[in-house]
Amino acid sequence: MTELGWAGVLVAVAGGAVRVSTPYLFVSLGETLTEKSGRVNLGLEGTLVLGAMSAYGVAHLSGSPWLGVLVAGVAGAGFGLGHGAVCGLARVNDVAMGIALFLLGTGLAFYLGKPFIEPVAPRLPHLAFGAWSASPQVRAALDVSPLFVAGAVLAPVLRWALGNTKWGLVVRTVGDNSDAAKALGWPVSLVRTLATVAGGFLAGVGGSFLSLQYPGTWNEALSSGQGLMAIALVIFARWDPMACFYASLLFGGATALGPALQSVGVTTNYYLYGAAPYVLTLGLLVYSSSTRHTLVGAPSELTISR
Amino acid sequence: MTIRSSVETAAISTAAVLVALLLFGGFAAARGLDPLEVYRVLYVGAFGTWFAVQNTLTQAAPLMLTALCTAVPARAGLLVIGGEGALVIGGLATVLAGVPLAGAPAPLGIALLCAAGAVAGGLWVGAAGALRHWRGVNETISTLLLNYIAIAVLNHLITGPIRDFAQVLKPASWSLGEHLRIGDVPGTSVHWGLAFGVAACALLWVLMRRTTFGFAVDILGGNVRAARMAGLPVGAMVLVACFLGGAAAGLAGAVEVVAVHGFASSSLVVGYGYAGILVAFLARQNPLAIVFVSVLLGGISASGGLLQRRFGLPDAATLVLRGLLFVAVLASTTLYGRLRVFRRP
Amino acid sequence: MTSLTPPATPPAVEVIGMTKRFGDLRALDDVSLTLAPGSFHAILGQNGAGKSTLVKCIMGYHRPDAGRLLVDGHEHVVVNPRQAHALGFGMVYQHFTLVPSMSAAENLILGRADLPAVIRWAEERARLEAFQRRMPFTLDLDRPVAGLAAGQKQKLEILKQLFLGRRVLILDEPTSVLTPDEADQVLGILRELTAENRLSVLIITHKFREALAFAREVTVLRAGRRVGGGPVAGLSRPDLVRMMIGSAALAEPATRAARPGGAVALELETLTVRNDKGLLAVRDASGVVRAGEIVGVAGVSGNGQRELVEVLAGQREPESGAIRVRGEAYRRTRTDMRRHGVFVLTEEPLHNSCVRGMSVAENLAFRTFDEPANTRGGWLVSRRALRRQARSLIDAYGIRTQGPDTRLEALSGGNVQRTVLARELSGDVAVLIAQNPCAGLDVAATAEIRNRIMAARNAGAAVLLLSEDLDELLELADRIVVMFEGRFVYETPRDGADLHTIGHHMASHP
Repeated sequence: MTELGWAGVLVAVAGGAVRVSTPYLFVSLGETLTEKSGRVNLGLEGTLVLGAMSAYGVAHLSGSPWLGVLVAGVAGAGFGLGHGAVCGLARVNDVAMGIALFLLGTGLAFYLGKPFIEPVAPRLPHLAFGAWSASPQVRAALDVSPLFVAGAVLAPVLRWALGNTKWGLVVRTVGDNSDAAKALGWPVSLVRTLATVAGGFLAGVGGSFLSLQYPGTWNEALSSGQGLMAIALVIFARWDPMACFYASLLFGGATALGPALQSVGVTTNYYLYGAAPYVLTLGLLVYSSSTRHTLVGAPSELTISR
Repeated sequence: MTIRSSVETAAISTAAVLVALLLFGGFAAARGLDPLEVYRVLYVGAFGTWFAVQNTLTQAAPLMLTALCTAVPARAGLLVIGGEGALVIGGLATVLAGVPLAGAPAPLGIALLCAAGAVAGGLWVGAAGALRHWRGVNETISTLLLNYIAIAVLNHLITGPIRDFAQVLKPASWSLGEHLRIGDVPGTSVHWGLAFGVAACALLWVLMRRTTFGFAVDILGGNVRAARMAGLPVGAMVLVACFLGGAAAGLAGAVEVVAVHGFASSSLVVGYGYAGILVAFLARQNPLAIVFVSVLLGGISASGGLLQRRFGLPDAATLVLRGLLFVAVLASTTLYGRLRVFRRP
Repeated sequence: MTSLTPPATPPAVEVIGMTKRFGDLRALDDVSLTLAPGSFHAILGQNGAGKSTLVKCIMGYHRPDAGRLLVDGHEHVVVNPRQAHALGFGMVYQHFTLVPSMSAAENLILGRADLPAVIRWAEERARLEAFQRRMPFTLDLDRPVAGLAAGQKQKLEILKQLFLGRRVLILDEPTSVLTPDEADQVLGILRELTAENRLSVLIITHKFREALAFAREVTVLRAGRRVGGGPVAGLSRPDLVRMMIGSAALAEPATRAARPGGAVALELETLTVRNDKGLLAVRDASGVVRAGEIVGVAGVSGNGQRELVEVLAGQREPESGAIRVRGEAYRRTRTDMRRHGVFVLTEEPLHNSCVRGMSVAENLAFRTFDEPANTRGGWLVSRRALRRQARSLIDAYGIRTQGPDTRLEALSGGNVQRTVLARELSGDVAVLIAQNPCAGLDVAATAEIRNRIMAARNAGAAVLLLSEDLDELLELADRIVVMFEGRFVYETPRDGADLHTIGHHMASHP
């Protein structure tokens, strides 16, 4: 890597964009679905960490990383159910509730995950898209996570489903005009809860990527705000699943900047480059927000965009 | 606030705390522990001995200040959770201000150090208020991001520009001169930060509950359209509320440096900011109630060590209990006005 | 459920002895009515008479405490709207239940009970177009609903109900957001469909004109009870008024004191304002209001009235243009509001100008809490002074509340509006801006509020009154201007104002 010099940084950032983007992708797709139904779940950072822990623990105990992924999703869905159920009560603030679940999720993950910090769990395999090549560099570059592929497929599927399926129309109606949904006899609170459960499932799966693929270990510093940034990313992506996909790649690249610079020997301002994704997120938020008019594409029942 | 509504608040909050404790007991029972024994140890570790009480009060001091960081903007209708970041920035500013103030006489020097921390924290959260007012950026998300940015700035400074290489255990900044440190309240092991916390809560209670400024902020928090219609300077009020909240958390950081560590390190990032959010919600954003709730929550933190030693529970057990408390408190807000007992006849 | 082809003709519907209590209040008391196939039936009544409660019981939103519903002679228990839909009942609301971000086509197929899991848009389009050809009117199916005019939206609502196979249509004040022309068009379509026996219509209204011109039967409700009705042919407007109001004494109509033209108090100069979506809502609005004059602004909701009031109230920034009060630039600060005596009566006060969680006394003090009389030392609020001020205002304005410390949200709508009235009219009023001040209030409260506005005008205040109720404008205003798509398009003095000319300008036909 060092021999490539600054070109290597670009390669590493591009490679990192694919590698690091997966959790952003899953969380942002999940949050898009949830917010399309008119509810905000700021607790997905906690769900991400809880997913990472439970995936690692289950993979370690069962020997099957895929079972770990599934359990991570189920754990996330459970948290989504909690959020959905409590926010369905009158006068409960969904933004504050998200913060509470963020704290509870991380707390639970640390509490239950203590025994799994030392042991080793089997990792998820890579898809060797580069197997045809003789060059080890090409092979390494084309080793792609199956979860990334799943997310890349999920984005257009979700976009299609929101426009072309019954459930897509139901979710959008509930999120855009709950009175209309009520007039049609649809259970608004139930639809929102289900959308939150599905969003939680995806965020949990995103967490399993952290512990079972990259970085591929479990510790308490595994996630530092990826879940939160993914939520901000949804606003920037204007609630469009495909835009979430591209934005996730952008964020993946930003997150990979610090390690990439470190790999070419630039270590002096390591922590400052580590702040890049947060600063980028804040910058994009400032860019995407407005006091003058409501955001284009924002579901009108959403508390956070009012 | 009428007596009836105070009783309602107390009853509902108590119920929420009890539900959270019950759930936590369930977690303990799942580990094969006797929940009653866990509760007893929780109490002993928090309030059972003079040592425990002092430990609890020490933990409570920063919570009072970080809780104000959420509670004061909340009265203006903002959900600010930037206490963690403002505390870190306040601590860093205090260390940096120690350079020009190295030769200052103690009382003045310490006052200026604390002021530096408070102003820095105030500007940090005030920036989120400005973004909210002029760009419509959601303040909850921006303050959370500012927390991560503050920690990155801290790590950058203490591993480089202001690192003291004499500190070998973990990266830390250089230390303040001994004469710029304040000790404990005489006869106790509780540092003076507790007095700062109580004073700040009392002061802000008067400001928010008794003055024309507080009345105006209540209108703004209740309905920004009504506030604009009354001709109130909404932008300035948002900025002031965010600044005051951030200043309280910044002061907490200054106190951590001046009274506890003497330098800035990752010891500033121990979750006081996040615990403060819970305190603010449990106290329903009332500065006086924050004093008492802080002591309660400080007790939970203080007994964490004892829980760990006695039962082998991970130290994250207190995080779980806090999380359960937070969820229970928020869920309980649905009960207000619904209980027949508290309805007017 | 309704995947079978729905019957082509509406069923016979009978409602017998419908009763609904909310706590101690009998919202609906033993009300019966019959809806023969193809009938056009109007329910008249004041606010709170039980009209909405009745139709909500029929549609399954409320569960009645007593009463039966017979459809084609068979009794049905309807506990949720889906069951009502299955019986062929559909409801159209005062406010649209369309999803603004979706196209007309998406909105049309939303309600299908047999909506397939995956929507084949090509098939759906073909079916929708075939359906439209059988209707007396057509709409562009691809446009997002957000871009449709109010009349088109209401037509789309009706189209949607018909497309879904509903044969009994219940409409709750369907014309309140339409121009008189649009209202006639929509009601005419309904009348045509009932005449062809394709539909039965049950319509809630408080407009006598519509009931008399379009319905064939009426039922009048008062305080939850049926107090009269029958075929329209045998009823006159005075009959209906008497039934609706009962024996309650009404305040005398506001008396207008003769005044010479005063000095210009409020002046708008090429004011331009954007709405929440960033589009121009008010365009180059210019005009003056003189002291002792009420200028009425007529217009269909959504033509920039809200944005204009928000700018004058200080809730929105104008894009360009100037506002002057008594000849000076008006900056909409607290100082300027106080110095010039500018006050505002908004619509939906709980949303626009009050804090529901604060007490009556506090809400009454929004404009005065920082005045010397209400403070100690200039910066501590004196709760005692606020209570004293509140007690005198509660008496003077007849606000029904437990006391000054009661939270505002515990008050009825009329008393919330009286609280705002007390706050905004008790000061030294030089300029008053009012928007739909009587919307949603009963006849007595309406008369009282109109009297107070007239009294302010007689005392020399300049009043800008924006209202969707033409009767209100004709009663109160000295001059009427019409607002259409953000512009003032027509002006007429009170004398010689013609309802139809005004109506045409509201729909932009010059």
